[in-house]
Amino acid sequence: MIQENEMQIELKEPLVPVEDYLAAGVHIGTQQKSKDMKDFIYRVRNDGLYILDIRRTDERIKTAAKFLNQYNPANILVVTSRQYGQYPAKKYSEMIGAMSMIGRFIPGLLTNQNLNGYIEPEVVLLTDPIGDAQVIREAVQSGIPVVALCDTNNMTSYVDLVIPTNNKGRKALSMVYYLLTKEMLRLRGITTSLTPEDYETDI
Amino acid sequence: MNEKRCTSCNAPLAKTGATWFGCPDCGAQVLRCVNCREQSIPYLCPACGFGGP
Repeated sequence: MIQENEMQIELKEPLVPVEDYLAAGVHIGTQQKSKDMKDFIYRVRNDGLYILDIRRTDERIKTAAKFLNQYNPANILVVTSRQYGQYPAKKYSEMIGAMSMIGRFIPGLLTNQNLNGYIEPEVVLLTDPIGDAQVIREAVQSGIPVVALCDTNNMTSYVDLVIPTNNKGRKALSMVYYLLTKEMLRLRGITTSLTPEDYETDI
Repeated sequence: MNEKRCTSCNAPLAKTGATWFGCPDCGAQVLRCVNCREQSIPYLCPACGFGGP
């Protein structure tokens, strides 16, 4: 439920109206904050939850879409071990034509050339730097840039581009992956009739 | 001397752990050494001034 006066801000040319961001809970953080994420925090609520700045989230989604569009879609790896991120990440990778690693990441996939399924992406997109720590470790060894969805409690070590968002909520993850898809396709000159609901599952 | 150097600290890039990529905003090359990546040291794009991570 959207709380009254939770965020009295206006966005310049937002990807979706502020109300949609708030309804999806993209701005809801955690009760912990990290020093790395303090620039993206708007305020702390009475119940102790840190609230992310929607303006930075909107801006960073646009920036990340522009950044990821520099690469061949087939060389982008989307990774998520988090349950709620699996469906939206898979849908995103299908829509833009990227590789995806959903569920458990098999160690060595980016570093062990003898491993069956060894891949060499040019950039990785993570849903959670904590859950996907193994991917970060291997991306660092391989010198691959890392883009990550970071919540208020995440450290941003080895992350080259942060997308500040709630990375735990089902609707929030669906919204962020939907917006990334929409913006990337728009930059390629493709219009889409997708909606955030297409990225949601009942699980 | 065309040695690659970190955009944040100007240190020479080590063989492993460092990375370079096009600036997310303008596409100019940004280089990050392993220490700046680990400690999440902010970088500024030399061309457009975009600040990351």
